[in-house]
Amino acid sequence: MTNLNIEETKYTPKINLDFEKGIVSIAGKSYPENTFEFYEPVMKWLEEYFDGNAQETTTINFEIIYFNSSSSKLFFDLFDLLEENNEKNTIIINWIYDEENESALEAGEDFQEDFETLTINLISK
Amino acid sequence: MNISEIQHLVERDGIIFLSYGGFLSQAIISAMTEALEKEADANDIGMGISSNMFTIFIELSQNMMNYSKSKDPNCHEITPEGLILVSKDAEDNYYIQSQNIVELKDKDKIEPKLEEIQSLDNDGLKKRYRELRRSGQNTHGQGGGIGFYEIAKRCDSIEYKFSEITKNKYYFHIKTKININKKEK
Repeated sequence: MTNLNIEETKYTPKINLDFEKGIVSIAGKSYPENTFEFYEPVMKWLEEYFDGNAQETTTINFEIIYFNSSSSKLFFDLFDLLEENNEKNTIIINWIYDEENESALEAGEDFQEDFETLTINLISK
Repeated sequence: MNISEIQHLVERDGIIFLSYGGFLSQAIISAMTEALEKEADANDIGMGISSNMFTIFIELSQNMMNYSKSKDPNCHEITPEGLILVSKDAEDNYYIQSQNIVELKDKDKIEPKLEEIQSLDNDGLKKRYRELRRSGQNTHGQGGGIGFYEIAKRCDSIEYKFSEITKNKYYFHIKTKININKKEK
């Protein structure tokens, strides 16, 4: 299994999927022209990772400044995938937001409510 | 919409600081979003409210851009064109509005969503948004999906109008208002 790194653009986040460390980071803005195509390699990577390649603890760091509605749906699907693997793995999700960005906080709270079995930490910076 | 109508909008809604009419592409949308970021920065608009503004702007623009993609490539009548305006008035209200041409069958898809949105209060809207996001219905098509719910969650009010051009074609106009001094919901 290899790591996957995607550089940040004006409308897509910086993505680092580190298999050795078990750390997934998604940081920046997210409003791709075709959201599902853009995130397809990320979802594929995660599926492969949890298919017998996962580290003891997996940390997911989300730091999204703002996003479009299809990204919102995509993140929902991503949380769904994490929830499916939550029983057999230790998964820690950090939803990182700027303390002045109430909208980003609210988005994190929504995910907490929708995925009660997942450990989602809301972290202001 | 003709020039005099734009003039009318300016008089009614105060200063327009971003307006665009024509072909929409991801590069253009991204450049305009950057311009909005600068505007928000220069006016000291808080991050929460400015994020809402950017999301609404992106949502409306990408809606117009994607709309044409769902059409038959031989259908030259519907191109990725639209009009988008961002303005503010003296009471610290920001308005983001857009206009494009839609077909009757798309009006029939969009209108019930907007009617439902108008009938919901904030909690109802939040609940419905999460329901739709969970169910996954409507989210992969180009017909608006949860986009209008996303917009509604992030603004103070929505007005919309369909004006008939021909039996099968309508102008779809939508206007969202955001007050920058109001405490966030």
